[in-house]
Amino acid sequence: MERKPIVEVRDLVAGYGDYLVLDRVSMDVYEGEIIAVIGGSGCGKSTLLKNMVGLLRPVSGSIRYWGREITAMDEEELAELLRKLGIAFQSGALFNSMTVGENISLPMEEYGDMDQELREILVGIKLDLVGLSGTGDLMPDELSGGMKKRVGFARAIAMDPRIVFFDEPSTSLDPIIAAGLDKLILEMRRLLGITVFVVTHDLGSIRLIADRIVMLDRGRVIFTGTVSDVEKTGVARVRQFFDRQPDKTIEARGVATV
Amino acid sequence: MNSGSRGSGTSKGAAARPAAPPVFPGKGGLIQAMQQAPGAAEAPETVILVPGPLSDREGRRLLEEIVRAAGGGASRIALDLSELERLDSRGCAWLIRAVRAARRRGAQVGLRGECGEAAEVIELLSKSFAEDRPRPPASAGFLESLGNKAFRAREELLDAWRLAVDAVYWSFIAPFEGRGLRWKGLVTEIEDIGIRAIGIVSLLNFLLGLVIAMLSAAQASTFGVQIYVASLVVMGFARELAPIMTGIVVSARTGSAIAAELATMKVYEEIDALKGMGLSVSKFLIAPKVLATLVAVPILTAIGFVTGVAGGFFLNAISLDFTFDRWWEQTIQASTVRDLVQGGVKAFSFAVIIVMVGCHNGLRVTGGVRGVGMATTRAVVMDVFLIVVADLLFTTIFYYFL
Repeated sequence: MERKPIVEVRDLVAGYGDYLVLDRVSMDVYEGEIIAVIGGSGCGKSTLLKNMVGLLRPVSGSIRYWGREITAMDEEELAELLRKLGIAFQSGALFNSMTVGENISLPMEEYGDMDQELREILVGIKLDLVGLSGTGDLMPDELSGGMKKRVGFARAIAMDPRIVFFDEPSTSLDPIIAAGLDKLILEMRRLLGITVFVVTHDLGSIRLIADRIVMLDRGRVIFTGTVSDVEKTGVARVRQFFDRQPDKTIEARGVATV
Repeated sequence: MNSGSRGSGTSKGAAARPAAPPVFPGKGGLIQAMQQAPGAAEAPETVILVPGPLSDREGRRLLEEIVRAAGGGASRIALDLSELERLDSRGCAWLIRAVRAARRRGAQVGLRGECGEAAEVIELLSKSFAEDRPRPPASAGFLESLGNKAFRAREELLDAWRLAVDAVYWSFIAPFEGRGLRWKGLVTEIEDIGIRAIGIVSLLNFLLGLVIAMLSAAQASTFGVQIYVASLVVMGFARELAPIMTGIVVSARTGSAIAAELATMKVYEEIDALKGMGLSVSKFLIAPKVLATLVAVPILTAIGFVTGVAGGFFLNAISLDFTFDRWWEQTIQASTVRDLVQGGVKAFSFAVIIVMVGCHNGLRVTGGVRGVGMATTRAVVMDVFLIVVADLLFTTIFYYFL
């Protein structure tokens, strides 16, 4: 591939205190692609995501966005970079004390130089995109889990980010909504050219949207390739994942926190 | 949003909603839509070229231009999108704003021109291009909101009543019917509510004793009856000061904690989990708290009484210079069983108020995480208010009737 990656992760070692979760992870993200990071529970997917968006600082290794190293950035530079990223958290992570509309317009108010009317229209646009038109005046606790997640997505794309990070977009959504979200991700990528980084273990969604797959197991990258590469790979763990085969006992892998 | 509606779908949209001219172009569908718009034949059409790429500066210019055109009497405006190739959501917002501004001024707006991907973005956002969203209904009138408040108050009182019945049953009756009591919970609660509060309750009562003694000594010295400071302190602390000081400290410490804990448990569905296991919330959560508070607050009040009196003596020791024996004699002489009973009754009633208000507000939480903070605030405010009201009530009863 002659394209230049916009995100380069090299030899990333990260964890929580003395407990290391990621062991020299290296991967690239290319402009305009949808990359899915997969793996069993506790394999370090969420840790990788949190390190990539600067919520956690790695123990060692480097993460570069458009050639700029983020592990060396101070708060301000990181904040500047984060404006170009959108993050949709697993359960939405909406601000409970604000309406849905206020949740989405918060980054616009803080970062965007736009007036009230334009913000309102934009909030309407984002809600339309995630199929929740007319819910702007509701409070987050009036929404179902799946709706919260979609509002979280709307908030993540509020500022037209270059890269959107998704933590398990389809978990706890019904299949129809999940498929709608997949379609939306594809449309957004095609029309707006955004790059999408998805942490997931929804096989259907992976097959449908992922251009490339990175699989983690026990904190290491064990597979990188396209969906069709999966069929050809000799890595047993990858085959097991895609064929939905159980371990001999469920404890055999251990279920670590986070 | 389904892709099948592109092209052929535009005419369908026009038929379904004739009032709002369809503005979702699709490839080539747009011009047809314009021709089908009501009044298309009569009025002349004003064409405005949408500059591309549509960023803030161009957007504002477009808005000004369309407002000028609509204000100048143009009843049909066509926005020519042929210069647009890509459209981000901010550009789209400007476009929507322009369309709405023209509509508000009575003009019909259509979109036209081949614009590639921008057309698909517009189609994706067709709902936003439709009419302005209706505003939410105006808030209720005076009588209506008064009625709402009355209904809510009634409901809240019913809730409180049910909780009280439950709490009494699970605290005082169920254990004797062999339905058990959470001893482990009770011990932890007594430690939290009682033992850990001894320090702060003692200190505050001691300081208050000192303050009261100083205030009254200044008055008493003008008549040369400083020894009566001892009487005043012991009477004041027995009847009033120890219970109310302790009550307020405990409501700040424990009333808030109870409300916050139960509210958080409710928000995170832990209460539902308990109920789902067929377990009684009152038995597991409420009864231990009720019993612990009823035990702890009177004992804390007694401790507060002793340290308050000690505070009075401390002032004597440093500035009034009576002997300990003299002060002690006066203190004993001034104490009556009646005063101690009054203090005990108050302490007990404050305990009931603190624990019930805490549980009540905690379990009634709504609105997620923010609700937890509001429930806690409400519990403490209600505690202090009800404590003062109960204090007044008992003082009145003892003053006039007993």
